[in-house]
Amino acid sequence: MRTVIILVAIALAGLAGGALFIYSGFYNVAATEQHTAPVYWLLNAAMRRSVQRRVDEISVPPLTDPALVARGLPLYRLHCVQCHGAPGVAPEGFALGMMPLPANLALTAREWKNPAEIFWVAKFGIKTSGMPAWEFRLSDEELWAIVAFVRTLSLQSPKEYEALVHAAERGGVSSRAAAPTGISSAAVDLDRGKVALQQYACVTCHVIPGVVAASNPVGPSLAGIATRGYLAGIVPNTRDNMVRWLRSPRTVDPASAMPDLGVTERDAQDIAAFLDTLR
Amino acid sequence: MRTQIGRCFALVLVAGMSHACSEKPTEISLQPVGNAEQGRRAIRQHGCGACHRIPGIAGADGNVGPPLVDMAARVYLAGVVANTPANMAHFIRSPHEVSPMTAMPDMQVTQADAVAMSAYLYRPN
Repeated sequence: MRTVIILVAIALAGLAGGALFIYSGFYNVAATEQHTAPVYWLLNAAMRRSVQRRVDEISVPPLTDPALVARGLPLYRLHCVQCHGAPGVAPEGFALGMMPLPANLALTAREWKNPAEIFWVAKFGIKTSGMPAWEFRLSDEELWAIVAFVRTLSLQSPKEYEALVHAAERGGVSSRAAAPTGISSAAVDLDRGKVALQQYACVTCHVIPGVVAASNPVGPSLAGIATRGYLAGIVPNTRDNMVRWLRSPRTVDPASAMPDLGVTERDAQDIAAFLDTLR
Repeated sequence: MRTQIGRCFALVLVAGMSHACSEKPTEISLQPVGNAEQGRRAIRQHGCGACHRIPGIAGADGNVGPPLVDMAARVYLAGVVANTPANMAHFIRSPHEVSPMTAMPDMQVTQADAVAMSAYLYRPN
């Protein structure tokens, strides 16, 4: 009994200490402030283990296919080099100011033996780091092309990387990748719609019940949106109108502050399905 | 203090000003001027609750248009103009001048009532 009391007291003291630590503002959130070595180790280890635990189901396509690697280069230049750099190419200024700093992927390619882990990180991103999720921007095929290309980075000299870039440009390979159409026969998936609400930054402007961080009153609250009479105060709230409104708000109301976020048809369908649960 | 800072931010957003907030904002007033109690009566009398959910008004649980919860914090009105007491009164009086295609009807609200209604909607919850 006495031991229990002591343990409870220790736990309470720990909680109180933690609360005091937070409330005092002692912890510095500045990106210029380096993590302490134990914290850095802890975060890194937790991230690696978290990734490793989640890649078992991913089947890796043949990544040495030269055509796949070649498709990865323009995608890498369009979406990755800004933060990660390339052999002989520095990241952009904004990336240099990040904490944690974006990884040098030539090193990642060497150290991360399982390409599924690179694929997973590119697809799903890493919370509270600068690494975004590309799931809603790139197809799996495009992501594998990037992974295939990244795996060649550790074997490239700066001269070779430069030569690849020149060759690709001469060959007329545009660095602008086609946006994924997102059109698929996949069944409407409201859980995916809930994720999409975050991925299209809907949470920045709307209160959305059930979505953490969606507490911002820039636009109207989406509480009860399923039974709302009008959308944008203009068109009847039907599934088709909702999808149209999500995909191109200006065609519904040319003066609307709601921006066109490049929502694909499939994503709009999934988001609409989730919103339909908010009664 | 916090509301003042919030107001300053809102003002910067609304007016697109780049300089720091001065003590006396002159460009746009976010301070409602009307009588909130009169506004509450006017909101009831004009049946706003048939289409909107409005805290503090019995029976105002419509969901035709958006809920009017925490209006002081909202950034846009009708999705098209900055949310200020003046714009709110304008929108209540002549919705189609603010948003030509809006489903919000012109309820023949007087200027005094519109101002009072804004004061009610902006009161701290």
